[in-house]
Amino acid sequence: MNKVSTRLFALAILVILSVLAAITFGPADIDSSQLISCLVGSCQNQIADIVIWQVRIPRVLVALVAGMGLAIAGAILQNTTRNPLADPYLFGIVSGAGLGATIANISLADNLTIALPLAAFLGALFSVIIVVFIAKVLQRMEQLLLAGVAVSFMLASITQFILYFGEPFATNRVIFWLMGSLARVEMSNFYVIASILVIAIITVLALHRQIDALLLGDESAASLGVDVDKLRLLMLGICAALTATIVAYCGGIGFVGLMIPHIVRQLIGVTTLKLIIGSALIGAIFLIWVDVIARSSLPHAEIPIGIITSALGSIFFLFIMYRSRANT
Amino acid sequence: MSTLLNISGLNWKVLNKTILQDINFTVSKGEVIGIIGPNGAGKTSLLRCIINQANILSSINTSGSVQLKNRPITQFSSREIAQHFALVMQKNDSIFALSVQDVMKMGLLPHKSLFSLDSDYDKSQIELALSKVGLSHALESLFNQLSGGEQQRVLIARALVQASQILILDEPTNHLDVYYQHQVLQLVNKLNITVIMTVHDLNLASLYCQRLLLLDKGQLICDGSPQEVLAPEQLSNIFGLPCQQNIDAITGATQVSFYLQDNRIQNSTSPEPLSE
Repeated sequence: MNKVSTRLFALAILVILSVLAAITFGPADIDSSQLISCLVGSCQNQIADIVIWQVRIPRVLVALVAGMGLAIAGAILQNTTRNPLADPYLFGIVSGAGLGATIANISLADNLTIALPLAAFLGALFSVIIVVFIAKVLQRMEQLLLAGVAVSFMLASITQFILYFGEPFATNRVIFWLMGSLARVEMSNFYVIASILVIAIITVLALHRQIDALLLGDESAASLGVDVDKLRLLMLGICAALTATIVAYCGGIGFVGLMIPHIVRQLIGVTTLKLIIGSALIGAIFLIWVDVIARSSLPHAEIPIGIITSALGSIFFLFIMYRSRANT
Repeated sequence: MSTLLNISGLNWKVLNKTILQDINFTVSKGEVIGIIGPNGAGKTSLLRCIINQANILSSINTSGSVQLKNRPITQFSSREIAQHFALVMQKNDSIFALSVQDVMKMGLLPHKSLFSLDSDYDKSQIELALSKVGLSHALESLFNQLSGGEQQRVLIARALVQASQILILDEPTNHLDVYYQHQVLQLVNKLNITVIMTVHDLNLASLYCQRLLLLDKGQLICDGSPQEVLAPEQLSNIFGLPCQQNIDAITGATQVSFYLQDNRIQNSTSPEPLSE
């Protein structure tokens, strides 16, 4: 086994251990023997069984697939746009989801369990369609990122306008949702995110050579037979669907897509196959443990997960800037 | 020698500006052809038409035909074109730390199916191509840390892995110092495949190409051996400078030198050359 395979194997083991360890964290007092008996299906304590199977396992599994999905979306966008700062959030996906959630919250009093994620998903897709449309009109696909930033600010301002005049209770709900949390996720959320994740991974694995060809420029890729615009559009669509689904259930969890691929490039490699597998594994480990911190660092409250990822992300950003300054 | 490419009546006009006008020539297997001419003559545009880049030949701005093995290039898919032509451009940069091996693997793309992984045969082809360009030791090196000449050689090796019949090079010696200019062109010359390249330096083109195409204002002015194409009167008219043709004493190749009237040595019949 070469160095890269060994590292990926070690990371896969770490993912499994992280999932098992994360299940042990939580406010309910469940010891390890109880935990094991509940996991193997011979639970004596019914409350422990419910806590483990209906609260902790769904939460850890959603953290697993959400971490994988956000990191993979960042990795795909960075390689297809050749921009190490590309992140699903920069394409206006979260602002679009925020607008959708705001409209659902303000206009609907109940049925929010289904309506909120659905509206967030539609809002995210709406923003991506606008971004792609602008880039198409400008006939410059490389301006996708700039168009994304502009659309992001525009949608955020509309959201704030609605919230400013909205009912305070609904406004609070939206603001808490935007901070991101895995507190209310269910097993069904895991299945939905996992399905989109599997489709995204299969598509990227199929096209990994085409995406790699983009790394030396559009002209080089075209000379190798790649339809550059079509490929970029397909990848953007996949990232949008993946991020929108995750944001719809978990709210705003920033910086994962930006940070994780940077770490993977240093540890595993820059080409798409290595980057995607590495990002999936490290992204999963990262979000599982951030969620553990979010739910266990305060005695009787949870910290919204988006606050922790944003804090870590901004420190990471400064570290990258410091390191690049030191290298020049 | 069998005809590989046939370009006939090729025209390209954008907003009343002529880019290429009535270009006709054929390319036989194994030829090394240099396209020369002043800036804006249409050299790179001609290369773009030959490989039908961005489906340019289907545009209403172009007319005429490019045929590869007697079949219009417009009927080839972009993948098929990549299987027949390998393109090496002036400059390739990556913001990410790609290794030479990563760049070489890109050459496998036109022959690979979806989901495919690298086989042992692919690895041996990559090693063979790198050894042909004298860079066997650089497999694990970072592409961006190589010199300009080494990067060009890696891209030529990638073209060999691509296993195309025709190698297209756009100004392969730009950004290179004199040593690497000769090294890269000598390498291209020895590959024994069909090569079409644009070259800015007329003397380098003469030294390393069997046949030259002289373009000016989108028209093919002359097509022939270096000695025929580099005729002083013809070059003087196109480049607007007096020109003199010599035979290089060491290489035996046709060489030209340009000069300005002011540069001539006073009271001397031999002009002070202004090297191309």
